[in-house]
Amino acid sequence: MKKIGLFLLVTIAFLSCKKLNEDPKSIIVQDQFYQTSNDAISAVTSVYSALNTDPGGDFPMYGRQLYFMADAATDDETEGNAASNADVRAMGSIAYIANNNRILGNWTQHYRGINWANVAIDKISAMQLDTTLKNRLVRESKFIRALLYFNLVRLFGDVPLVLHQAATISQTTVERTPAEDVYKQIIADLTDAENLPASYSGNDIGRATSGAAKTLLVKIYLTRKDWKNAIAKSLEVINGPYGYGLFGNYADVFNKSTKNGKEHIFSVQFLSNSGASNSRDRIMTDVFSGFGTKIPPDLPADSTLYKSFVSTDTRKAVTYFTSLVNPATGLPFKFKYIGLRKFVDTTQLLTPVESGINFPVLRYADVLLMYAEALNEDQGPTTAAYAAIDQVRERAKVPDITPGLSQSAFRDAVYQERRFEFVQEGQRWFDLVRTGRLVAAVKTVIAKSAVSDKDNLFPIPQAEIDVNPKVTQNPGW
Amino acid sequence: MEIYIYFFFRGASKFLKYLLCLPLLFIIATKPARSESSKNSPGLHSSKQVNSKTDSVKDDDDRTVSGTVLDESGQGLPGATVRIKGTEKGVTTDKWGSFRLLRPDNNAIVVISFMGYRTQELPLKTRKGFIIRLEAEHNALNDVVIVGYGTQRKKELTGAISSVPKENLNQGVSSVDNLLQGAAPGLQVTQSSGQPGASATVRIRGGNSITAGNEPLYVIDGFPFYNDNTSTQGSVNPNSSAQGLNALATINPSDIESIEVLKDASATAIYGSRGANGVVIITTKKGKKGHNDVSYSVYIGQQQVRKELTLLNGTQFAQLTNDIQTSQGLSPFYTNDQVNSFGAGADWQNAAFRKAPIQNHSISVSGGDDKSAYDISGNYFDQEGILLNSDFKRMSVRANYTRNVSDQFKIGLNTTGSQSYQNGTSGTNIASILYTAPTVPVKNADGSYNTTNPFSATPGNPLQDLLITTNETDAFRVLGNFYGEYEIIPGLKAKVSIGADVINTRQNQFSPSNATSGYATNGIASIGANKVATWVSENTLTYNKILNEHSFNVLVGYTTQTSTGNFNTSASQNFISNISGYNILQGGSVTLIPTSGEYSWTLNSWLARINYSYLHRYNFTITGRADGSSRFGANNKWGYFPSAGFSWNIKEEDFLKNVSAISNLNLRLSAGTTGNQEIGEYQSLVTLSPTNYFFNGTVQTGFAPTSLGNPDLKWEKTAQYDVGVDLGLWDNRVSITADAYYKRTSNLLISVPVQLSSGYAAELENVGSVENKGLEIALNTDNIKSGSFKWKTSANISFNRNKVLSLNGQQSFFAQIPDAYSDPLYKLSPVVIKVGSPLGTIWGYKSAGIIQSGENISQLPTLGTEQAGDRKYVDINKDGVINANDKTDLGSVQPKFTYGFSNTFTYRNFDLFVFFQGSYGNKIYNLLQEELELTNLGQNASSVLLQRWTPTNPSNSIPRASYSPVAQVLDRYMQDGSYLRLKNISLGYNFSPAVAHKILAKQLRVYVSAQNLLTFTHYTGYDPEVNTFGQNNLLQGIDFGAYPSSKTFLAGLNITF
Repeated sequence: MKKIGLFLLVTIAFLSCKKLNEDPKSIIVQDQFYQTSNDAISAVTSVYSALNTDPGGDFPMYGRQLYFMADAATDDETEGNAASNADVRAMGSIAYIANNNRILGNWTQHYRGINWANVAIDKISAMQLDTTLKNRLVRESKFIRALLYFNLVRLFGDVPLVLHQAATISQTTVERTPAEDVYKQIIADLTDAENLPASYSGNDIGRATSGAAKTLLVKIYLTRKDWKNAIAKSLEVINGPYGYGLFGNYADVFNKSTKNGKEHIFSVQFLSNSGASNSRDRIMTDVFSGFGTKIPPDLPADSTLYKSFVSTDTRKAVTYFTSLVNPATGLPFKFKYIGLRKFVDTTQLLTPVESGINFPVLRYADVLLMYAEALNEDQGPTTAAYAAIDQVRERAKVPDITPGLSQSAFRDAVYQERRFEFVQEGQRWFDLVRTGRLVAAVKTVIAKSAVSDKDNLFPIPQAEIDVNPKVTQNPGW
Repeated sequence: MEIYIYFFFRGASKFLKYLLCLPLLFIIATKPARSESSKNSPGLHSSKQVNSKTDSVKDDDDRTVSGTVLDESGQGLPGATVRIKGTEKGVTTDKWGSFRLLRPDNNAIVVISFMGYRTQELPLKTRKGFIIRLEAEHNALNDVVIVGYGTQRKKELTGAISSVPKENLNQGVSSVDNLLQGAAPGLQVTQSSGQPGASATVRIRGGNSITAGNEPLYVIDGFPFYNDNTSTQGSVNPNSSAQGLNALATINPSDIESIEVLKDASATAIYGSRGANGVVIITTKKGKKGHNDVSYSVYIGQQQVRKELTLLNGTQFAQLTNDIQTSQGLSPFYTNDQVNSFGAGADWQNAAFRKAPIQNHSISVSGGDDKSAYDISGNYFDQEGILLNSDFKRMSVRANYTRNVSDQFKIGLNTTGSQSYQNGTSGTNIASILYTAPTVPVKNADGSYNTTNPFSATPGNPLQDLLITTNETDAFRVLGNFYGEYEIIPGLKAKVSIGADVINTRQNQFSPSNATSGYATNGIASIGANKVATWVSENTLTYNKILNEHSFNVLVGYTTQTSTGNFNTSASQNFISNISGYNILQGGSVTLIPTSGEYSWTLNSWLARINYSYLHRYNFTITGRADGSSRFGANNKWGYFPSAGFSWNIKEEDFLKNVSAISNLNLRLSAGTTGNQEIGEYQSLVTLSPTNYFFNGTVQTGFAPTSLGNPDLKWEKTAQYDVGVDLGLWDNRVSITADAYYKRTSNLLISVPVQLSSGYAAELENVGSVENKGLEIALNTDNIKSGSFKWKTSANISFNRNKVLSLNGQQSFFAQIPDAYSDPLYKLSPVVIKVGSPLGTIWGYKSAGIIQSGENISQLPTLGTEQAGDRKYVDINKDGVINANDKTDLGSVQPKFTYGFSNTFTYRNFDLFVFFQGSYGNKIYNLLQEELELTNLGQNASSVLLQRWTPTNPSNSIPRASYSPVAQVLDRYMQDGSYLRLKNISLGYNFSPAVAHKILAKQLRVYVSAQNLLTFTHYTGYDPEVNTFGQNNLLQGIDFGAYPSSKTFLAGLNITF
């Protein structure tokens, strides 16, 4: 009997306490990471992925989310009263309120990317790495951080300026920083990013370059009406060692086979059939169902702009569709609305979420038009200004601008050109606001007549104010 | 009938193939031989003689009296004493329960007694024979109840514990949770869907938690486990809302001997951090001393859909289509002649249903002697679904064994192994069938499925999809524990138990290129595998001591439980051939990114309990458990859960002793704290997640922090107070148990939103609180108990009120619908979690009728672009526009009360069980109805749309036909989900032992039963019992086309040799 008692005791001892520390094997804990150069590269890859991925499964920033604010809320599109999501409809009909979840989505995604950039900048700076690689990775992160803050400061005005990862919950409380200080940080980051390589090869193609940093600076100077700096930076891009130019064919800007070509200065990269469902170009996800029952899609184009393209303008057919070949039937399908075509991947019509078309954030046509605009503002319509805008028009197969325009007429011509050139490219809202034309322009669409001065800034998402009441709301909201 | 016979034999042959058939046949075959060898049984004659005279127990022999003693179930009771009152003359019954004794005079009284049964006295008079059914002695002081880590005398109980009535355990269902429905007060069970093998939602005294699990802890033969249905899923993202396989369905319900439900803190605190949601203790059948029984039970039956929805027919649909076209200024889709020619059109819904057979076979061999007891059983369950190509099968075996190795040392083993197979439909299938236009034929003239539909860009046929797509889950589970118990000194026992639960699941999916879901990818197949292994070691010491009026029972213990899961998935698409599907993944030319993962948790615990009773009158229970869980933050690994209970047996007091009407009066009070650790793993850590970017057209992986981490993360704590009364009247012919309780759960784990500018959306924190308070009453009556007719009633009713008390300063948030649910209607987020409201509050617009022709729309508050015939909404804040601020509380999905009501009638050899069950006052948000009332072009709709607004039919409830109308969360779709259901009615016949003996059986019972025969409800959907989102805490009571429920008719037979 004693033996049995012994047996029991041995058993108890054998199965004694297991440790309670968690040791996850399929999840990477932050403390274990940031050791090797691959870790550092992967940290920066995540920073880029903020542009094309939403880890929560929402629409990715440049894959659709930003488009609701920068394009859908403008006169380029109708109000989209068929959208099933009330918040999407509200963006299109200028009926959004501070609770709008698309505005919230943009805010969230921008700050998520900024946090990832902050983590990459801080962690990589502290690592023992080859200096060239280390500097490049930090500067790439700074470029993305600057891009994201530039979007935020334009969309919302003063925004919290966060430059380091919050280590505890108490560090997450931040108030709004004056826009001026945010711009200072953006310019500082980009000035450092100007030291990035001029180009990349192999599987690094698509990373931020010094040309991208300079182009973004042009845009910032232009937004801030700093014409002289805008001209100077434009010239650095135009005359720099980058080899930028316009594609002969406008369609190539949105062509999968001409990705990252000479006109593309910085694009958000998308890929068909990548397997990652949350990192897809979903801008035109509802085309396919358009063959069937759902007509029209969420946000169709406004017909006024569609009709105002001159007949020779090659941009019109690239920008819009009214009919597509249904791959299921092999027959052209005539739509009852005007669809936006730039991000429709015609090889993926049956699986529109697999669109592999890159989103051009900065492209050479933009540099030319910004240069023309800055010249005109600073010096009036100079020959160089004419040459720049006409280069864009000639590629589109439309006649040159009438010579001898006044400064203000030339200004209108540049504005008009930007509109034709950049439909659906995340430019229109920003252009309207920075040139003070938002209310007048958007009012022309009947369903958007509710637009008013307060719309020159979007409301700070209510969720942010709810958590920290010290975050103030924009005027009028 | 042939079909039944066919399935019976098909099932039986499969069954025998799987289950130890030869040894069993051997045992059956050798039975008579054994009978013959038992000539020396204590009866006055051998059972062989009985066999030869089985037609009647009446004997022509005037010199003897004979008879049979039966237990409550009608089985012969061997070893019972039969004697003549006032004499020493007596015999004991033989193994059939039969006896014969020399006839005394007619005035003699025969006394029949057996340990644990109520002694019966019968005047002999001129009777020559008897059949006597003894009743178990329920009121005995020594009646014990199974509690956590042991048993307790019923009289000394301080906690609120309900036992599921035995009658409820005999229903033909696929899993244990179905048996709990309506069976005990305080228990709310909702079947999520009618899909075979689907889960039910079980709530004991309301839901405590917002983000963590709300299901109870199950303890099966001492093995504690949380019924986590992810452990029976292969991690394949099905792009659908399919209900997965219920992990509980892997356990054979016919093995169950008893179920106890532990509800208050006094009862559950011994389970500490897992006790807050209540505990369901399941005990499986054990062998009985003196028996060697071979039992076989079988039922076969048929299921049919309980209800079909009324949709538009062909002509009506065509008319609607034309109206939609016209509303856009477009020409009609169909000509008038076409419209008229469609007539009824295709009935897609009806074509998807079938009458589906169900069958169950169980065989068990059990028995025991002075030293050992055993019960070995096998089961085959096969249920086909009422929707084409869906079914659930389970093969299981169980072995329970105990052995007294010595007077001090006892060992035992409880094991079960099962193979469960579910062939599921994807959750959207029923909806896509309903949506299909009735103008589109199901089949072509040549009998093949028609795959063209003018409203669909891709060819496809939802009925064909049902048949050709594969979505199967195959789960293999072994659950068992082994224990040794050693009595160190009298009363002091040490017990060591080691258990394992291994679930190995494989999930296969295949959508061939001719299925709608496989068309775009040219066929897509995926395989997922998931293995979850849980080990538990429990070491306890118990000491029982009775010192005069004092009795003590002390328990201390140390346990450790650890669980590890691994999963991996692979998938490919673009298949040349549809033949091999998921079996040859390399046959798909495009490989999708594979996934894998690992997770594990550990729980170390110390536990102690002291029961003290004075005079069996004043009883105290003090319980404490310390739990250390790996799931919590570094600063809060350990939590402590105490409880105290007191009960006062008032009947034992002098002032009540002589009140004969009151046979039992007991007052119980308890208070204590329990916890909830079901939050998943690694929540307290700062973790990095992979993300993708595509430099130069190649996928490159980044890692980024996605959670802030919280080293202070800890348990949700539920403080619970309970007061209960047990009252027995007239010798306990009426017994009432009433409990009132208050539960307050604090430290709720909530994703607290942080400022988004930190880059994080939320951090999991212990904030917020929820309360549940309620009243529950159980009533059991023996209405008629003497004579050949008996009638027992058992009823229970539970009231629970749930309220969110705080959310860390937030006032409310909307429950997110998981991303896998892609239908746009899911983006409506109907459920709000709001301080002051119950969980499951629906938040939306109130409709204010329809805009009529001639109304001045510019004066109306609108969403924007309404016109005559569109819906009007109530402008709650009176600001002249309709927007999100005009949404309001539309009610809650929580019932006001739930109830169960059963009657058992016995007349001679017949028994009838009638079981009603229901819920009152709960609302259901009927998303399916909403979708079916949207006038989407090409989508069939509810027949309600026949009343739609037109200029000539100024309806004030149904809007006009329009293009892609926008759906809102609307009071119209908030429907009353109250119901009363005849859940089970069962009529049985117990053959008399004499008849049973003819086929060498001890007992033979046949029965017929019907489930869900009648349902009284105003709900317009398929079934008021519905949870499209399964066990999801926040999204209860939403119906988006769950698998419809069925009516089931069964016929069965139980035989014991």
